[in-house]
Amino acid sequence: MSAALREHRSSLLVAGLSSAFGVVLLSMIGAIDTAARADAVVGASDTASALLLVAASLFIGIALYVSAVVTANTVATIVAGRTRTIALLRLLGSSARRQRSAVTREGLGVGLIGAALGALAGEALHLLLVLVLRETGVLPPADYPLIAPVALLPVIAVVLTTWAAFRTGSRRVLAVRPMQALGAAVERSGEEVGRRPVRHGIAVVLVALGTLLLGGGVAAGLVSSFGVVIAFFGGILSFTGIVLAADLVMPPLLRLVGRAMARTATGRLAAENAVRSPERSARTTIGLVIGVALVTTFAVGLQSYIDMLARAQANDPAYYAGIDEAFAMTVAVFLVLIGFSAVIAAVGMADALSLSVLQRGRELGLLRALGFSKGQLRRMILAESAQLTVTASAFGVVLGIGYGWAGAQSLFGSIEGGGLVPPGIPWLLVLLVVIGTGALAAIAAVAPTRRAVRVTPIEALAAP
Amino acid sequence: MGASGSGKSTLMHIMAGLDSATSGRVWLGDTEITRLDDDQLTLLRRRRVGFVFQAFNLVPTLDVLGNIRLPFELDGREPNPDEAARIDRLVQTLGLEERLRHRPHELSGGQQQRVAIARALATQPDLILADEPTGNLDSRTGREVLAVLSAAARDYGQAIAMVTHDPVAASFADRIVFLADGRMVEERGRSSAEQISAIMLGMEAAR
Repeated sequence: MSAALREHRSSLLVAGLSSAFGVVLLSMIGAIDTAARADAVVGASDTASALLLVAASLFIGIALYVSAVVTANTVATIVAGRTRTIALLRLLGSSARRQRSAVTREGLGVGLIGAALGALAGEALHLLLVLVLRETGVLPPADYPLIAPVALLPVIAVVLTTWAAFRTGSRRVLAVRPMQALGAAVERSGEEVGRRPVRHGIAVVLVALGTLLLGGGVAAGLVSSFGVVIAFFGGILSFTGIVLAADLVMPPLLRLVGRAMARTATGRLAAENAVRSPERSARTTIGLVIGVALVTTFAVGLQSYIDMLARAQANDPAYYAGIDEAFAMTVAVFLVLIGFSAVIAAVGMADALSLSVLQRGRELGLLRALGFSKGQLRRMILAESAQLTVTASAFGVVLGIGYGWAGAQSLFGSIEGGGLVPPGIPWLLVLLVVIGTGALAAIAAVAPTRRAVRVTPIEALAAP
Repeated sequence: MGASGSGKSTLMHIMAGLDSATSGRVWLGDTEITRLDDDQLTLLRRRRVGFVFQAFNLVPTLDVLGNIRLPFELDGREPNPDEAARIDRLVQTLGLEERLRHRPHELSGGQQQRVAIARALATQPDLILADEPTGNLDSRTGREVLAVLSAAARDYGQAIAMVTHDPVAASFADRIVFLADGRMVEERGRSSAEQISAIMLGMEAAR
């Protein structure tokens, strides 16, 4: 049980974070609503509060989606590591469905525990925030509800999405053959992965449809802020497509980057490793891409919003006289979102990387047996981390710029004097994200690498 | 029995329904297993076939008792009183009473293999397939394991098909089939290790 908990540590954390995030967001909107009613001067219009609720729901939706992708990714990595045990149980007469539903049940447990703990933390944070804001006079004195019943919805949603993510991530259990218990368990090769026309066909359709919706959202955003709803679904569909096609797209990209960076035999081997097991490198890369893309999305969204507002203010200074407070509030919300997404991203990245090194004990042992020095092995893993960071960052930043701009346009395009603006890119922040990703990638690989290097070649080769 | 590459393991995989035959049919008792789908093969492996491997293949997260009871758990049921008594007897005969709460990594190779044998015998399968069961054991422990297997065949009437290239291991069998390059080339009743070695060497010379 404790081993299972350790394996699911990151999934628990991700579920907890999303649940806390949802609870805080919805409870605080409830508090703002109460404040608005108590204090007629603030008097938000119905459209404004409806928009606030829609925006909050979308942010929670994004959080849930990202958590689901990160969790499904982690589960797929865990399942790959359990292949031999699953194969043994299949050999002894367990059905594939049963093995999969065992994993799915773990997911339900993780979802329930994570969501409950997150809800408690979120509720505590909400009470603290209301107390502080009321004492400091930001919120007017009023009877604030202790618990917002609506905040239960994201908690339930977290349980369901975690469960669904485990179900999706455990799909590979069905492909484990009993024979794999008898020999070395190998992942499918590039050629085999290449032959998945249905999956990749769906991916293309999703990306096309998603891009179309993103464009539609931007266009609709020029008229109404609710364009963001269209753009939201565009973002979800297109990124799902990218995840589905990752095993086809990522390995060649990784190899390209790896070759450009490689100077030594070790570096070249690292570049080839990416293509040798496309499923594993796709999983690892997606974990990084979604993190970088998410943080970049919010950063670019914020910058585009600032740019847009600056332009509108220059056009019509009188109209935007008292906007500063609302502006500061929006910036604060975005900063929280950036921080939140950075944490989830970090969890996803660190997990994908350390698990992927951990599961390669045998392969690394073989290299040691073939005459790789400990230093060479370390350098090879480091080179892999570097090429992974560069590839995932480039891919994630490009995606994030697209998503962030589309989000800002569809949400704020209709403000007075707004219109279409080019995407605002906060280069410093983007640079920080890339550096942070690289540092995290290196750190996440350190512990498992040390372990892998310490094992003697004989032990590594004997281990099942 | 046969040299490396003679097709022993392939034959065993096909007999167990793990690998599909390109031609021909495979029967286990009255069941033609070449016609079974994956679900039926799963049930067959669970209820009618037992496995003992060279690499022991115990589930590392389960203790000894958990490993022995695994086939029943996979069937979604508790062992009935007869089966429970049988498991108790097996545990005793194999000297595992003191080890029931231990994990596989806390056991010696010989003990692990005895657990695997107990697991295979517990369900009274139609057939136990043993793939080089002594391959990872020293010669003394290997003899003990072979003695346990032949006692199971004698006392419980358990059918066991063992794959090996060790003449001493083969000398424990009542019937020995020799394979070379994917074909059956010889068949003998109970023979001594010396006789078996002579046949093996003769096969080598005839090529």
